[in-house]
Amino acid sequence: MKHNRILRVPVKSLVPLIMMFGLYVQFHGDYGPGGGFQAGVIFAAAIVLYTLVFGLRRARRAISLRALEITVAVGVLLYGSVGFVTMMLGGHFLGYDRLAHDPLHGQHYGILLIELGVGITVAGVITALFFLFAGRGLRPATRERVEPEEDATLEESFEGAGAVEGTP
Amino acid sequence: MTELMDVLLFLFLVITAFGIIRMRDLFAAVMMSGLFSLLSACLFMVMDAVDVAFTEAAVGAGISTVLMLATLAITKREERGDRRRVEPLPLLLCFAIGSLLIYGTLDMPAYGDPEAPVHTYMAPRFIEKSKAEVGPPNIVTSVLASYRGYDTFGETTVVFTALVGVLLLLGGRLRLRPSSTMDITMGVDLRAVKRRQAERRQAVVDPSAAGDDAAGDNGGAA
Amino acid sequence: MILDVLSWLLLSGGAVVLVLTGFLILRMPTFYTRLHAASVNETLGPALILIGLALQTGDYANGFEVLLKLLLVLVFLLLTGPVASHALAKAAITNLVMPGQFKRIQSQEQQERERKEQR
Repeated sequence: MKHNRILRVPVKSLVPLIMMFGLYVQFHGDYGPGGGFQAGVIFAAAIVLYTLVFGLRRARRAISLRALEITVAVGVLLYGSVGFVTMMLGGHFLGYDRLAHDPLHGQHYGILLIELGVGITVAGVITALFFLFAGRGLRPATRERVEPEEDATLEESFEGAGAVEGTP
Repeated sequence: MTELMDVLLFLFLVITAFGIIRMRDLFAAVMMSGLFSLLSACLFMVMDAVDVAFTEAAVGAGISTVLMLATLAITKREERGDRRRVEPLPLLLCFAIGSLLIYGTLDMPAYGDPEAPVHTYMAPRFIEKSKAEVGPPNIVTSVLASYRGYDTFGETTVVFTALVGVLLLLGGRLRLRPSSTMDITMGVDLRAVKRRQAERRQAVVDPSAAGDDAAGDNGGAA
Repeated sequence: MILDVLSWLLLSGGAVVLVLTGFLILRMPTFYTRLHAASVNETLGPALILIGLALQTGDYANGFEVLLKLLLVLVFLLLTGPVASHALAKAAITNLVMPGQFKRIQSQEQQERERKEQR
């Protein structure tokens, strides 16, 4: 598409950076502010930004709702299965000490894994929520696809406006 | 200085809340609620609760505003109905419950009281032992993920359940016809704009198209 | 010393710009003039303040990291602010708000309806 380049170019370059920041928040949560919840939200925000600028169709072609449903379930299952693994290793449910020989290392692995589970779930849920709400906004009246043949410039639109202002 | 910041931020919070109540334009109300979240994030930041401030800024000011805007695209922008009328019974109820709540806060420890139960019961133990027991330097993370792992599991399940509920309500599979474009996309379709402008201009220049009595007032719009 | 003076000049300049543009957003008559004030508010004001802060980093041991972070913040602000203003202006055009007026161009029916409501 030709029009709207000023929005598209910065957004295209910003989206991967936002996603990278989300991953940083995810895996740096032990040392600084952050964690799974915030990381998931930031990651989803990148997808939402992409959807706002490039349209729902392109975003849903990249990420289908079916995949999101699976992702969300995988996140919760990852969290729960960490608990079951610790139980199988002889500890309490979500008692990470047993995950490695050194309890501190075990705690570290456990926290990383469950934070990842939270992050995956939150990112998937928020993206899916946005897709669903934005998809509801498609009323039959707006379901016309307009393919612009020529890129009309803003100046032309303004010229049209001038004619209105001039009239008594 | 910090007290002054607190008081100012709380003042702005209250003003914003009244602004949201008074606002008829729902779009502006959504924006004001985003502002409300941002102010609370600032407040948490002043209180050194960085993690909470982070979450509040990302969720409250960012995502929930966008979600509410997406919802606004489905409904109307203006609030409906006459709201200047004051119903006495709900007002009385609100005042009664509000004063009960304020009465309840009188028993709470003073702001920043070091002897408050929060600061004497579990917090010292977490601060002293978490380094040896769990490890991460960010104590909030160790409390959230390790000491309170059950709670966080519950929270994750709540988020998951929320999506399941929305999926059930909004019909699950979202069927987009191949010919549809997104309603709230930022993409400006200039051809449609020009067409609408032309229609409006036609209506303004050529008053015979519509009623005659409107012709005199057309200049007022320009 | 010179850096200090320059930095304070930039900081106070940024503060003045922010206050002035904030005032102008409220006082300007039409949509696009307000948008003009708003876009200056989110580019020039923070830019002056961030550059002023960046000049202060030389005195500290971890100054270079802070300098890098400040410049990154500046880059992101300069990348996103104008784009947001552009999107706002374009949305206004789509909704038929024309330069020199605050309200959108109204169709006949809308005008009549409003006049009826006023009566």
